[in-house]
Parts: sequence; structure tokens; C-alpha cells
Amino acid sequence: MHVAYPPEDPAQIARRPIRVWDLPTRIFHWLLVAAFVVQWITQDDARLLDYHVFAGYAIGVLLVFRVLWGFLGTRYARFDSFAFSPRQALQHLCAMLAGRHERHLGHNPAGTWSIFGLLALGLATVVTGIATLGGAKQLGPLRGLIGYARGDTFALVHKYLAWSMLVLVALHLLGVLLASRAEHENLVVSMVVGTKSSNGSFGGVPAATPVASVLLVILAIGVWSYFRGYLQARPLQPYLPFTQPALAENAAWTKECGGCHLAYHPSILPARSWTKLLREQHAHFGEDLDLEDESVRRLQGFAAMQSAEAHRTTLAWKVDSTTPSSATPLRVTDTGYWKHRHADLSDADWTRTKRFACDGCHLDAAAGTFLPGAIQVGMQTASPEKVR
Amino acid sequence: MTPVRKALVTLFAALSWALIAPRAHAGVVDDLLKHYTELGAANFSAEAGEAFFDRAVIDAKTGEPRKCTLCHTTDLRRTGKHATTGKVIEPLAPSVNPKRLTDARDIEKWLARNCKWTLGRECTPQEKGDVLVMIRGR
Repeated sequence: MHVAYPPEDPAQIARRPIRVWDLPTRIFHWLLVAAFVVQWITQDDARLLDYHVFAGYAIGVLLVFRVLWGFLGTRYARFDSFAFSPRQALQHLCAMLAGRHERHLGHNPAGTWSIFGLLALGLATVVTGIATLGGAKQLGPLRGLIGYARGDTFALVHKYLAWSMLVLVALHLLGVLLASRAEHENLVVSMVVGTKSSNGSFGGVPAATPVASVLLVILAIGVWSYFRGYLQARPLQPYLPFTQPALAENAAWTKECGGCHLAYHPSILPARSWTKLLREQHAHFGEDLDLEDESVRRLQGFAAMQSAEAHRTTLAWKVDSTTPSSATPLRVTDTGYWKHRHADLSDADWTRTKRFACDGCHLDAAAGTFLPGAIQVGMQTASPEKVR
Repeated sequence: MTPVRKALVTLFAALSWALIAPRAHAGVVDDLLKHYTELGAANFSAEAGEAFFDRAVIDAKTGEPRKCTLCHTTDLRRTGKHATTGKVIEPLAPSVNPKRLTDARDIEKWLARNCKWTLGRECTPQEKGDVLVMIRGR
């Protein structure tokens, strides 16, 4: 007996899903997206610098992995599968704008160049980020090898590269949107689940799960070793993600200045400011200090050696390089740099901590290092157990 | 030395220091009181010192009342707080803070600075002596 089966739908044959993106490529893609978002959230916030730095290292590891995977990976992850010339990319774009979309199972010629651009810009942003950290903050692997001024230049380049990346990301998203519409296939979902529909002329690729596991394990070890300090933190012993060699101390300075207030380290103001403060010691913000001449001499000597001009900290460098030589600020809160760094704090933030009580938020204020990551806004004011 | 003997020696040393140390401090204050007497003060009294310590004086510039207890509180065995900076001030009472009243220069420096801020003038030898006698008893 003849049984009449309905004819096969040609669209069904054409729309058989095959795996195009292997697991390592997808994990790379979405972790890069996550890290990129973290970078824009944490940029320019000293409180979050350790997250920014870690995400930067993670991006570096991901990009290096992606370059290696471009040679060793599965078919559509390999560079040779999408080694299109710029001319081909242009032709592809023109065809697309003319309404003739040319479908590629892997990256199309235009998309290829956003991939190469993002890889190159990403690596350059990571490198200039590490150079910024080493120069402008004197932290990280390049500490001491780059000066503050050069570090500031790297910071500027780092910023421009990041913005260029953002522009390229926007173009990439636009391309994904247009191609998704032209191909009647959600390419974002493809990057999540790994499959795209195929007419069967090409086979799928293996998932490469072992490689993906190795990549995840490396990143997990990175997270653990970078952030485990937070697990050991106690209320009176907060974890400081960044450290620097201790600054010089002076017994007379600690005793005389620390008797009434935080013994502000001399590195926070220029030498001329300390000279003026000590000369005007009989009218010191409403108090007559009545310091003996010998004490004044000792304090003056320490201040002269450790003042902002010695550039022993980022704060010192910034205060010295941004305060006009005609100005003699008597308080660090009068400097343009201080105002710039605290501009985003509202009056409500200053209810618990007075502006001159640096140690109200800066855990290392007594040490004078004012490191990023050692900041807790809204912390209770001065307690004797404060980190030194 | 056995651990027990070591512990005994340490205990003995600590006990002797505890007996000698307060006398050494008393010496510092006694010397200052003697000095104040030479300047014309006499009959130092803890009661007078206590009254002086809590007496408010209107500051000429700000119009605000100022007194010693503003920063040091009325209970000298507790920590105080600097009126402008908020810095914690360790207790003045030698009974809980043995470092107090051990350095004549320190005593004179703080009396000079704090009298000027609180009263707008230096304290008289009589006032300083009364306050020291009062603090010593706490």
C-alpha cells in the first residue's frame, strides 16, 4: 500500500542547524563582553581600580588566547577561514547597502575587520593600561620603570584607544543587527548556542570542550589569586589591594601634628606651603600652636625633604604639577587636584566625615600613600586602630 | 632559667615598676607645682581645678562658649574628642592612662596651647596648679 508522505519542505532542509562557533570562541566572546562592560563601569574610580586592573589582565589573557585559537582552533575560529582583504570587506559592505547580502557561515568580510580591529585595539588598550598603572600610579609590573609624566601620557592614549574600541563595538553591533535581518537568523543567539542554519554544504565543528575548560580554569585561578585578600579582610583590618613602600616618618612630626589631627604627610603639599604654615604657627586655623623654635626647625627639615616636590606618591606628583607656583595652598582641600578628585561627592557624603579628615575614608591616610582601592566612603571617622 | 623562675622575675619587675612609676610621675607634677609656687601661687586645690575645668568662657571671635570639658569631657577617665578636628583624645586621668603627667615640657605645651584656645589667654600659675592637682587625683 502506498502511503503518501507530504513532500519535504526545502526550507527545512536548508535550515538544518550546525555548530559554527566552538565553545572556547563563545566563552571568549561573552567574557570579553562582560570584562569590557566592567571596564566602562570602573573607569576613573579609584575605589574600583583593582577590579579595573583585574578585568584588564583578564582581557589580555582572553585576547592572547583568541589570537592562539585563531591559528589552532576549529574551522570558523581560525583566521585562515576569514582572511578577507580590506577590498573584499568594502565590496561586502557596498553589496549589503545595495540590498544584496552575501551570506557567510563564519565571519563575513566586513565583520572580519571589526574582529581584527577589536583584537588589535584591545591588546593595545591592555598594554597602555599596564603602562598607565606603572607610571601614573607607580603600581603593577611596570612600577618604577615609567615616570609619572609619561604615565599620564599613557593614560591619555589608553583612553583614546578605549573610546576607539567602543566605536568599533558599536559598528560590530550594527553589523550583527543588519546581517541578522538579512539572513533571517538571530546571530546573537548563534554566538550563545554556537549553531547557525546551514544548507548542508559544510559540516559543523566540534565543541572543543577540553580547551574551553582549560581557559575557564586559568581564569578562575586568576580570580582566586587576585581577589582572595578580600576573604581575609576583617572590619578593623580591611584588605588593601594595592601596596607601596612606606613613606618616611618623623617622630617630631607625628607627635606635634598628630597631637590635634591626622599627621598629614608632608608629601600632600608643596614645601612653600609647609614653610608658611610653620611661620604662621601662632595663628594655625584658629589656634596658637606655641611650638618651640627647635620643634619648628625639626618639622621644617622633615617637610622640606618629603614635600610634594619629591613626588613620592601620585598625590604628591599631582599636587605639585597642577598647583600654580604662585599659589601657596595651606590645605590640601584647597588644591585644584583635591577638588577635581572629590568632585563627584555630594554634601551628604560629607556629613559623617569632614573634608580635612582624610582618614575618614582613606584607610592609608596616616601612611600618606593615598592608594587606590584603600578608600571607603562613609566610613566612621578617625579611630586609633586605623591602618598605618 | 626555668620558665617558672622567669615568670617570677618578670612579675617582680612589673610590681616594682608599678610601685616606682607613679612616684616618678608625682615628681614631675610636684616640680611644676613648686615652680608655680615660686611664681606666687599657693594652696592648690582639686576642687578649684575641677570648677575651673568646667567653667565656660565666651570666645571673643566666634561668640561660642568654650571650656576644657568641651574636648576632655567631664569624666577624665574616658576618651575625649577634639572640638574642631574630631581627633580622639586619650584619657587625661593617670589612673587609666599612665603616660599622662610624665613629661613636664608636654604638660606646659598643652596647658599653654589649650588655655589660649579656651580662655583666649594663658592660664595663671594658680589655675595650672589647681588643674594639675585635680588631674593627678583622677
